Amino acid sequence: MQNAKDSFYMALRTRLTTINPERTILVRGTLRPGILVEEAEAPFSQLPNDVFVLRWLGLGVDMDLSATMAAAECEILYQTCGTQSFGGLDRGRALSKMDEELVAMLTPFYTPKLNYAATPPAAMLTQVFWDEPGMSPVATQRDRLSRSAKTMVYSYQEQGE
Amino acid sequence: MAANWFSAPAPVTRRVRGYFAPVNRGTQMPVLFDPSEQGRFDLEVPPAPWISLGWIQGFTRKPGSKSAPVLTGVPAAPLSQVRETLQAQVSMQFLSWTKLTMALATGSQHMNVLAAATGAVAAADGAQATTAVIPQAGSTASSFVLAPADAVKFAAGSIVALDVDYTGQTGFVGAPISGAYVRQALTDVDYIRRVTFNVGLVCQANSSGLILAEPLPGGAPATGTKLQAVTGFMDREGGSFFQEWSALFVMEGSQGERIFFHYPRLQTMASSEEAMIPLDGKRQGSQARVLLMGQFMAMPVTDPLDGEHVVCYRSFLPALNALV
Repeated sequence: MQNAKDSFYMALRTRLTTINPERTILVRGTLRPGILVEEAEAPFSQLPNDVFVLRWLGLGVDMDLSATMAAAECEILYQTCGTQSFGGLDRGRALSKMDEELVAMLTPFYTPKLNYAATPPAAMLTQVFWDEPGMSPVATQRDRLSRSAKTMVYSYQEQGE
Repeated sequence: MAANWFSAPAPVTRRVRGYFAPVNRGTQMPVLFDPSEQGRFDLEVPPAPWISLGWIQGFTRKPGSKSAPVLTGVPAAPLSQVRETLQAQVSMQFLSWTKLTMALATGSQHMNVLAAATGAVAAADGAQATTAVIPQAGSTASSFVLAPADAVKFAAGSIVALDVDYTGQTGFVGAPISGAYVRQALTDVDYIRRVTFNVGLVCQANSSGLILAEPLPGGAPATGTKLQAVTGFMDREGGSFFQEWSALFVMEGSQGERIFFHYPRLQTMASSEEAMIPLDGKRQGSQARVLLMGQFMAMPVTDPLDGEHVVCYRSFLPALNALV
């Protein structure tokens, strides 16, 4: 499933650079697109604002098929306090913008599966695909608005995986 | 050595896409889909004359063909089988309300409600319409050149219908798609424009003419055609006309494989019906989406390849590198 998880993340990351190239984050001295995989970073005491964070949750496997299908649930968390220039009064708009970016990142609902353990990444034979996101209600904590979206990411296990 | 193939399980698909094309009712000529030449078409841009209806849901195929054994001997035992009846039905729910989806989901003529003339007497099909105007030379499928006095009758955002006057014709009427079958002469000069599928949305209007958001299905205005404003659409429970279309349904699998269901001739077999689908089923909210229900009877065609009578072609294009 790791190749599928990597492919899903990289697809969203690549799409985000087109949808909103200004959404970036400085991680370990490197400016990157504003989307992270939680399990691939140092533990957060507090999730960063204005960035999408992917958190992998449940995993299901259907082996009653000619190729095993794996389904991993991905939660995408994001939050914002708005901008300083507006004193945070635009936090609702900022969250709406992230909502729109998330929906755009998830469309279309598939991407080629690549093996990112290889250099350069090696194209595999199947595609990773996913469902429409289920969006949670907005959570408000003081001046911070946050939301999460969950989607099931599916892939077929290929030989050697 | 790395494998260059994979074993593909059953296709996984999210929804079904539907495409329809008009059957030439006069010549009874359906539109054919060729999977060898058209199988990899861009689902957003179907090959002409197929018209995309977008996503549909609740797509259900119900084969009704029956076969029976030919019995022989004592006690009787099957010797062979014969096909007694050839029949199939298709049903679906359309996720949009358009001229075409409404027409497909009704069991009779689908009518344009023409803008009423000032002071016209009320009528269930729409009152006597405003006088139709004649497109001038230079008009195209997506723009009309009009006299200034005619152009002011239309505004951006309005719907227009273009077709010829009714002058006593009988038989199938409406171009390029037959909208009705006239059994006996009528008196309404606007009747063909009431049933025509040649409608479009005006996106710009000025003193010299109109520009449409999309080209008309019938192409550039033909000689004798006239333009009228449309305020809405209507169908009736009852009537004797059956819509007939060629249909193509596509299921695209998660690995790029495609399943096609091609019905050369589908006739509407049920009257208009709607389904209410809650937008948020989990929370039992009161908002509901109104879907058009379509139910069709598949009519047979003779396959010129071998002379067999068939009602549907199912094609499967496997995913790249998938074992077959």
